[in-house]
Amino acid sequence: MTEPDVSVMVVDDHPMWRDGVARDLQERGFEVRATTGDAVSALRIAKTVRPDVVLMDLDLGDTSGVRASREITQEIPGTRVLVLSASGEHSDVLEAVKAGASGYLVKSASAEELVDAIQRTAAGDAVFTPGLAGLVLGEYRRMSVNPGAEANAPQLTDRETDVLRFVAKGMTARQIANKLVISHRTVENHVQSTLRKLQLHNRVELARYAIEHGLDQQEESTED
Amino acid sequence: MGKQGTDRLDPDGRQQPRIADGRSPLWRAHNAWRGVTLAYALVWFAVQHDEYARPAAGSAVIAAVVAWSVFTIWRYRSPAGRTHRLVLADQVVSNLLFLSSWFVLTPEQLAAPQVPSVVTIWHASAVTVAAVRWGMLGGGLSAAVAAGSNFLLHDVVNPAMWLDTVLLLGAGLLLGLASDTARRATERLARALRAEAATAERERLARSIHDNVLQVLSRVRHRGYELGGEAADIAKLAGEQEIALRALVNSGPAENAETGEVDLAARLRILRSSWVEVSVPGTAVELPADVANGLDAVVREMLGNVERHAGPDAGAWVLLEDVGGQVVLSVRDDGPGIPEGRLAEAETEGRMGVTRSIRGRVEGLGGSITLDTGPGEGTEWEVRVPRAGEQHSGRARARRLGGGAG
Repeated sequence: MTEPDVSVMVVDDHPMWRDGVARDLQERGFEVRATTGDAVSALRIAKTVRPDVVLMDLDLGDTSGVRASREITQEIPGTRVLVLSASGEHSDVLEAVKAGASGYLVKSASAEELVDAIQRTAAGDAVFTPGLAGLVLGEYRRMSVNPGAEANAPQLTDRETDVLRFVAKGMTARQIANKLVISHRTVENHVQSTLRKLQLHNRVELARYAIEHGLDQQEESTED
Repeated sequence: MGKQGTDRLDPDGRQQPRIADGRSPLWRAHNAWRGVTLAYALVWFAVQHDEYARPAAGSAVIAAVVAWSVFTIWRYRSPAGRTHRLVLADQVVSNLLFLSSWFVLTPEQLAAPQVPSVVTIWHASAVTVAAVRWGMLGGGLSAAVAAGSNFLLHDVVNPAMWLDTVLLLGAGLLLGLASDTARRATERLARALRAEAATAERERLARSIHDNVLQVLSRVRHRGYELGGEAADIAKLAGEQEIALRALVNSGPAENAETGEVDLAARLRILRSSWVEVSVPGTAVELPADVANGLDAVVREMLGNVERHAGPDAGAWVLLEDVGGQVVLSVRDDGPGIPEGRLAEAETEGRMGVTRSIRGRVEGLGGSITLDTGPGEGTEWEVRVPRAGEQHSGRARARRLGGGAG
């Protein structure tokens, strides 16, 4: 890895972890522009400091991490969210990713993995763990099983399904590329595409829900 | 279960929310029924007492009936009064008062099927209380005793007597059944409330562990590896405990209390460890308990196999997919793989080992299994099992059992 030129913001409510990560990242050449302990102020701070990547802890004790991920990715173009969670791949991880986060990493990942994941996130790639791939696969399957509830639900192509399954089974992008005889870049594109479709669908669904329930005006009026 | 059918303390001695005994309405119904039968007996007494052989004795009997009714109705009003002893005494008193008609009625009256005893149908309220207190068995026995007293008193056998017998037995058994059902429902409710309280407690603990202990362990491991040397050893220990603790706090109750189905996704999540990654859908994958248990066992066996044969550095990945009609389970490792022909060789040598038992389990569930491996390529099992394949798996099991016996 060459010295990164990437700016980062850390959102985590555990001071020890937050400061430790910030120090680690600084030592490795990242520019840590801000750290904060709560998701509510995250959007405001991120708007001011405009980091390339927001490292978002999901275990804030409520759903505020998911909401902050959505707000940041929607309102600050060019800022990407990498989700961190200690509690394994659960539905809140899927929600955050659907809300716009570019990827997910377990907190127990090594420093090298974290550095790599931040760089890939900054470069616009999707960062998938096998567990996240399993969640995304499950989400597409869930939508296809009850198409009535999810109108216009996106579908995976056969190739995308294959790629996600390989990721979920722990294969690296390079191994998958070899297996399918495609380029490494194509594998990355397939993975990204599965995420983008999911995020787009999620945004459309949310907008429709908001309009149907008259929440669009309300939300604007509460905005400060 | 406490004697009154409600629990006040759980096994850990903690205070439990008090659960209303489901049989309370039956007790109230019994009290009302005893009041109604008492009124009925009083009316018959007013009509008949001039014709009794001993009217004074009849008055004494009916007075005793009134007194006993008032006393028992008062006692049965509260759960504390519904004791075994009182209900047993009730059986004795009711039957004795019934039999005392022998001294009151004339022999002609006793032999006539259309003339009731002094206590009349009030006699049957001993059966209802026995049924409410002791369930079907108690109700049936009490009805048999009451019917026996009836034959003893009248000393004749005619269709009306048999009709009484059938009605007494019917009432005792049916009300007993209702009581048993209500008691079981109360117990089930108590269990459900206990489970709910335990879950809430567990979640509270998990959150607390998660917010504090895990963060520290995680940080120790992180920093320890970076410092290297002895610190790295400490980091390794911290990492192992972190994973174990995380698995522990993430393992919720996996059983669906209503359908009895088991969430296989939750079961498999627990298997995460330093070398095993588990990928499951975000929603529950509920399967009949035997299918889920079987697949859980298959995965554990496969992972055990990886641990034994794939070397210390091998990692393993478990993927669970819910494809509507069936579930697909993949277990992959990046070990040295199994050389071609090795499995067949082992089987012909009579060392059936893992493959045989894994295949057996999967076939027993009506599923199929494939193995993809080669030298240096790791091993990948793929298991497909029909999700609602009860009939299918049942048949497969019957076939296997039949074949296995021969």
